Amino acid sequence: MSKNFVLIIYLLCTVALAAQPDTVTIGFGEYHGVMVSASSSHNYPPETTLKQDGYLPNLNASSRFLGQATLGYNMEDLQEVSEMGIEDWIDSQFVKPIPFSLKNKVKDYHNFVKTATNTPAAGQIYRMWSYAWWQYHMASADVLRQRVAMALSELFVVSDKSAFGGNSYALSSYYDVMLNNAFTNYRDLMEDVTFHPAMGVYLTFLNNPKSNPATNQFPDENYARELMQLFTIGTSKLNMDGSYVLGTNGQPIQTYNNTDIAEFAKVFTGLSWADRTTFNRSAANDTSYTLPMIMFNSSHETGVKNLLNGFVVPNRVPTDGIADIQDAIGNLFNHSNTPPFVAKFLIQRLVTSNPSPDYIERVANVFVNNGQGVRGDMKAIIKAILLDPEAKSCKSGNDVEYGALREPFVRYVQINKAFDASTASGNYRNDMDYVYRFVQQKPLTSPSVFNFFQQEYQPIGPIEEANLVGPEFQITNAQTIMGYVNSLYRFVIQENVADEYDLYTNEDDATYANEVSTIDLNDEVLLTDNNKLHILLDRLNLLLAQGRLTAPSLAIIKNVVTELPNGTATEKRDRVRLAIYLIMSSPEYLINR
Amino acid sequence: MSKRKISRRAFIGEASCAALGSMTLYNSLVNLGMMTTAATRPHIISTPSDYKAVVCILLAGGADSFNFIVPTETSEYAQYVATRGSLALSNSATPPQLLPLNYSNNGRTFSIHAGMSAVQNMFNTGKLSFVTNIGTLIEPIANKTEYNSGMKKVPLGLYSHSDQIMQWQTSVPQSRSAVGVAGRMADILQDMNSIPEAAMNISLAGKNRWQSGNETNEFSISNSSTAATIGYSNYSSGLSNAVYLNDRKNKALDSLAAQQYANLFHKTIGDLNVTTSESIEVFKVAMSNLVPLTTTFSATNLSNDLKKIAELIKVRSFLGAQRQTFFVSYGGWDHHDDVINNQNVMLPIVSNALNEFNNAMTELGMQDNVVTFTISDFARTLTSNGNGSDHAWGGNSMIMGGPIDGGNIFGEFPSLSLTSPLNLSNRGLLIPTTSVDEFYAEIALWFGVSPNDLSYILPNICNFYSPTCPAPVPSGFMPIGMFS
Repeated sequence: MSKNFVLIIYLLCTVALAAQPDTVTIGFGEYHGVMVSASSSHNYPPETTLKQDGYLPNLNASSRFLGQATLGYNMEDLQEVSEMGIEDWIDSQFVKPIPFSLKNKVKDYHNFVKTATNTPAAGQIYRMWSYAWWQYHMASADVLRQRVAMALSELFVVSDKSAFGGNSYALSSYYDVMLNNAFTNYRDLMEDVTFHPAMGVYLTFLNNPKSNPATNQFPDENYARELMQLFTIGTSKLNMDGSYVLGTNGQPIQTYNNTDIAEFAKVFTGLSWADRTTFNRSAANDTSYTLPMIMFNSSHETGVKNLLNGFVVPNRVPTDGIADIQDAIGNLFNHSNTPPFVAKFLIQRLVTSNPSPDYIERVANVFVNNGQGVRGDMKAIIKAILLDPEAKSCKSGNDVEYGALREPFVRYVQINKAFDASTASGNYRNDMDYVYRFVQQKPLTSPSVFNFFQQEYQPIGPIEEANLVGPEFQITNAQTIMGYVNSLYRFVIQENVADEYDLYTNEDDATYANEVSTIDLNDEVLLTDNNKLHILLDRLNLLLAQGRLTAPSLAIIKNVVTELPNGTATEKRDRVRLAIYLIMSSPEYLINR
Repeated sequence: MSKRKISRRAFIGEASCAALGSMTLYNSLVNLGMMTTAATRPHIISTPSDYKAVVCILLAGGADSFNFIVPTETSEYAQYVATRGSLALSNSATPPQLLPLNYSNNGRTFSIHAGMSAVQNMFNTGKLSFVTNIGTLIEPIANKTEYNSGMKKVPLGLYSHSDQIMQWQTSVPQSRSAVGVAGRMADILQDMNSIPEAAMNISLAGKNRWQSGNETNEFSISNSSTAATIGYSNYSSGLSNAVYLNDRKNKALDSLAAQQYANLFHKTIGDLNVTTSESIEVFKVAMSNLVPLTTTFSATNLSNDLKKIAELIKVRSFLGAQRQTFFVSYGGWDHHDDVINNQNVMLPIVSNALNEFNNAMTELGMQDNVVTFTISDFARTLTSNGNGSDHAWGGNSMIMGGPIDGGNIFGEFPSLSLTSPLNLSNRGLLIPTTSVDEFYAEIALWFGVSPNDLSYILPNICNFYSPTCPAPVPSGFMPIGMFS
């Protein structure tokens, strides 16, 4: 974190909305009432610089943007976006390389244990997946990819609540599919998911045999159904703006029926492990999960398959199961529901729970055609979502229906990012089990294929009464609400930000000690005197909450923080910790908008 | 979480959607205390001993319940084997795969899965019954011809997990936005409980639709929660004025939540934070008064959930509770694969947990005050996909407790022939012959919902209780007859 940062730009857009509801556009960087509360080594011009199709965003706007586009960010990231502009920043993210694959990282940990314990047969352990995920997300600069990949992992859901729950190779290799395809094409993603053995096991189409009518045996319908219902088209026909197409009876129209599912089920037969030479074998070993499934044509259902919209998979002779699968994926990829379905999902994950129909349609149109005639271009879709006026407009501040509850796991990553969690060696280890226990969310731990929460979930109360949705409220209950506040106590007040454990019994303490995370509050502890507390709170408000905390909330927090002594270094630090704890507990922080 | 304020307009709007008669609406509003003249609440005549609880165990994922209970009359068993193929349980294997039930009706006999010996014992001693071929329905559908005619209303998203698991909890299969059955019961009955902060509906499985009402929310708790572990984490006494600081800290948390917010998302999370904080205070006190049970429970999550429920029933007076519902979820029943081996592991867990809970209720002397039942998304195809089965419709539930007419098989156990008029495809998907509405109606009436309010709890009930609806349901008119 920058040691000389003390500049606070105070934006009316976020704190005095009622006064200026229509003239201020946060993402385009118009600002009213810019206030510099402290000196800075940086020299920020009072006027924005015209660049691209808009203005450079100010810091609050940058914070808002990074709250949509990343899992967490620090003060330098805010400055970077403010200096580069949003679109350039996105473009710079698109070309950032994938530094390593999670599956190889797991392999490294595994080899490390084998060597350190002098046990060539030592097994992998679940912890290796968690450590690999955390290492990647703490140490890699491709933060937009990380955000999109996590969203995709909540769409194409597989979970450790499954047969491969303890297998770090399976989980890491599957998550690599999300990272690898965050910026490719939606069709590539569909293909890589379809052939991944973790999905094959999770939705039970690995070793799915063809029919045997003599014994009343038919293809497994699991993947056929969920691929349509959850990953591509949904259950009802959609207009491009995400609304239902209504039939003559005024009711939504089903996109498929049970007969269609049985036809798709025939397509997803014959796949099995790539390191087996015969069909219907169990996994050869843990690393079998890192190899895409292969087709055993003799176990693939022969004959035509009648898919959607009149598309017919021909009776291929000889049998060609892979070609059949490509046809089925193409049938769904090209379905008119897929663009609005995916557009709405990703907008809800990144920006807001209740996007306007126009917003969905704008993004869906980009899904259909990226401008160069390409359908499903992820980069174009992501840009369309993040650069949309509805993502950036300051009107959101005044719109009582705008916003999304921040995912609890994202809040956790944000703590580590905002306060530069670091280790002596640069290697991180984090089992992420405390955050899971407290808030019941962690990558690839969904209780079912329906994700931690469903897109149409309506919490009872004002959101439901306005006929809106709030997906993340589905995991917001008495347990997780209290759990979240108490997680802040552990992570922030006790500064126990990560869960580091041995990789093997009696691991060398020195290695371990070098990988314990600590957070950096050095900039903040300079601001704990009573006459500077307002600057501390402004800074934290900007860094964590996009400046969305209003004066009354800041006053409540300041009053309590002032109760703590401010003499010793520890006491100063306690003040900062309590301020973070209270800000991150407040409704104005919890809602991303 | 207990109450939330609801505008009367919104409530009536919801009620109208549920097609209530004006008389019933009046009754519901009276019961909800929404009418200024609500001087009397006829069904809330209770004495301190009038405690009742229902416990819903969701077997999430769609359990293959046509292997829970199996027909054993010679020709019916042969049909079962022919249809189920590789999934059929043997009735002659050693060790046994099926255990006989002490039951016979016109020559029909049944056995249950050998993993459920405790259930067999409870059935045979009159503590538990089965309800067969039950499922989500908007109105009765007699057979495949009627189903295909387009003249009958069919549940939304049949065979889809998300829809069917939701409809089993709402009993409103024509809607994706309905609230839940227990939530609606709490809307009407929660005033029987004397501490408003302690919700009538308690979940061991987080948020769930069954317990979401128009005016009420569930309170979620974990089976590992104790008086010592729930509530805000606090500064330790190492700090000189820890007590004072903790009070200030926690008041600040509550103040931040309780501010007046215009944004609907702020308002919703703020309300949730406030009610959580209030509820937890009450539960903390109640749990600190717990004297441990002597009944032993297995070390499974399901048993631990039911143990926590038994403990909360034990401390009910500290929660001011006359009526409580509990919701538990045991997932992992989506057996597209390996159904035989998985059920061999999972059914003993269910069976033992039910038995242990029954023992605990006996210990507390509450065996005649608590009814426990299982639900699931749907049953699975009768035919195999190799060594698993796929999504289907009508299935089988268990219901347990002193008030139940035990040792019975309720509903109509269907023919398992693929040529049955109830079968919708060559996979073996059966149209239910008993509706979820009928099932919940009897539970709700026992629980204390007045017949006049039944249509509020179950908006479609009149499709099954004709021709007397919407007039009050005559007492004793119960198509299933689960309660003795």
